[in-house]
Amino acid sequence: MLGEIGTTLGNLAGGFGTALHPINLAMLFIAVVLGLVIGVLPGLGGTSGVAILLPVTVFIAHGSLPGSDATTAIIFLAGIYWGALFGGVITSILFNIPGEPWAVVLLFDGFPLAKRLGRPGLALASSFVSSFLGALTATILFTFFALPIALRALEFGPAELFAVFVLSFATLIGLGAEAPMKSVAMLALGLLLAAVGFDTITGEQRLNFGQVSLLSGIGFVPVTIGLFGIGEILASAEEQGIGYVENISARLGLSDVFAALGELRKRLRLVLSNSIIGFFFGVLPGHGATAASFLGYGLARQYSKNKENFGKGEISGIMGPQSAADAAGVASLVPMITLGIPGSPTSAVIMAGLFVWGLQPGPVLFINHPDFVWGLIASIYLGHLLTFIICLLAVPLLAMIMRVPYAIITPFIVVISIIGSYSLNNSMLDVFITVVFGIIGYWLRKMKYPLAPLVVALVLGDSTERELRKALIAGHGSPLYFFNSALSTVLILAAVVLVLIPLTRTLRARRRAATVVAASADDAAR
Amino acid sequence: MRPYQVATAAAIVLIAAVAMSDSLAAFSPSAGTAPGDVGARWYPFWAAAIMAVAAVIVGYRALTTPQPAEGVFEGRQSVFAVLKIALPMVLFATLIGGVGWKTTDFTYTVIPPLGFYIATALYMGGFAWWLGRYKIWWVAAIAGAFPLVIFLAFEIGFRVSLPKSIFYDSGLLPF
Repeated sequence: MLGEIGTTLGNLAGGFGTALHPINLAMLFIAVVLGLVIGVLPGLGGTSGVAILLPVTVFIAHGSLPGSDATTAIIFLAGIYWGALFGGVITSILFNIPGEPWAVVLLFDGFPLAKRLGRPGLALASSFVSSFLGALTATILFTFFALPIALRALEFGPAELFAVFVLSFATLIGLGAEAPMKSVAMLALGLLLAAVGFDTITGEQRLNFGQVSLLSGIGFVPVTIGLFGIGEILASAEEQGIGYVENISARLGLSDVFAALGELRKRLRLVLSNSIIGFFFGVLPGHGATAASFLGYGLARQYSKNKENFGKGEISGIMGPQSAADAAGVASLVPMITLGIPGSPTSAVIMAGLFVWGLQPGPVLFINHPDFVWGLIASIYLGHLLTFIICLLAVPLLAMIMRVPYAIITPFIVVISIIGSYSLNNSMLDVFITVVFGIIGYWLRKMKYPLAPLVVALVLGDSTERELRKALIAGHGSPLYFFNSALSTVLILAAVVLVLIPLTRTLRARRRAATVVAASADDAAR
Repeated sequence: MRPYQVATAAAIVLIAAVAMSDSLAAFSPSAGTAPGDVGARWYPFWAAAIMAVAAVIVGYRALTTPQPAEGVFEGRQSVFAVLKIALPMVLFATLIGGVGWKTTDFTYTVIPPLGFYIATALYMGGFAWWLGRYKIWWVAAIAGAFPLVIFLAFEIGFRVSLPKSIFYDSGLLPF
């Protein structure tokens, strides 16, 4: 046990050596600032921001900058995510406009504390200190959980790997916030889109309908930029058309930070427990920061002695969701790095980056590229520290971004989205895929279809099919092969249980409704 | 909301049906190259089948359960707000690559490719003029500055080559 901890700490020290390399540190700083800007802009989310800048990392990974390599690229890409995690809250608190989906929950108490109670500085500082503590807790857990999970995963065969994929899909269906059948439809659509082009086992063409341009498949990056980048732009255009912007100017003083630290001390148990819960919640595929933020808010309210203050500027209503959201954001990288399964749409994009740089995400990374993995883990500590400091110093500057006119910022986001989708493969087809999926994504959102299952299935589709067919070949076509191993049996059974959760929920709700109807009929008869 | 939910589910079923028809070879006795392999079409066929069944259930539930009375958009204003962004975006993407088609003998050009930089200038400038209602010199500055900054950052800095216009091919412009 002590030996394992020692090994982990040794690896982490090596990781800090990598992350503190001047080029890595410089790119982390740039990424965090970009992430904060992306987080502040309502039409541009963390996922689309990471996807748009993914092509840039190809040049970083291939050494276009002096001393840069794939580790620099992942530090850059992940840094954007850390910045966006913090940046999204600024507009929620100051303008009543969530910059990111995970900041929506801050409209309940963050904005009232800033406006009604006149404490914008305290609201922002409370959010930043709890975000930082949540992320720090999750990163410590990441540090010590990653290697054991990866070492165990190295022993997985095709049956176990397929079972892990199935379990992650089942999680998206069973624990999703939207209607489960909509999740199933989106999941299947993602698997279908991933199958377009050449079959990786037989080399046969499929689903390309005679189009040569579709032989290489439908790219994950243009689809994601479309769904999340263009889709968000269209959604926010609609909101801009009907809404109005509340505006509070804010400066963060040291007194606000000390006041927030005092409030944090009173709520340390809440913040730490929400961070740990957020971490384990974030490890589940498809449940990134957004779902965790709502869970964190619910828990904070549930266990608060001042329930009546929620919705009126209660600080627990800021610290609870923020700590859970940031912990989940960090945790979403754990399954991506250790198992090759993205924990959230953003980590799916980061995982696509690994493929683009020629790396295979999953447990072999720990063996073949330890510098890469431990450099990334160390950069999470540094990234959050940097983000925290920049946030404390630069809130007024970041808030000014909101004053850039709509008629400039909106087309600009479209332009950089188009650059992002084109430049990965120099393909105009990718540009049209982005535009088409932007419109599709906007519509699916309106119809309340979840996009996370589509994106996760699109990135995992090829691997899922490969492992399924490898297992079937090994089992001479018999599906019973999946039940030869205890682990794959347990995982598949767990997946079945997860898929059945929404069904039992529906049946229970119907039974309850039938009981109520019967009781009211009895009352009427009497 | 009900007709939109049903129409969306129907569109998903249609996509699934097209994919299933393309994957019918999954049931050919020669599918698969190795013993036990299900072949290239099996997986997309069943993915499409699952998608179709799920969409049919979504459509059925939309028809049989109470749906919100309000429409998809909150009034005409929000429809126009979306169209104001969507239509110029489609036009922008079209202008970059142009519109045309090739036969074995001729290339037909309806709209010549304007390339990324000219299309961006028109798109950004057009937006500033139309939605921003800026003075003409501001429009010109925006139309000029953004493509220039993008050219310097991507073409020179990151060495990313973005699509060029017909004037580039004829040597009239460097982009």
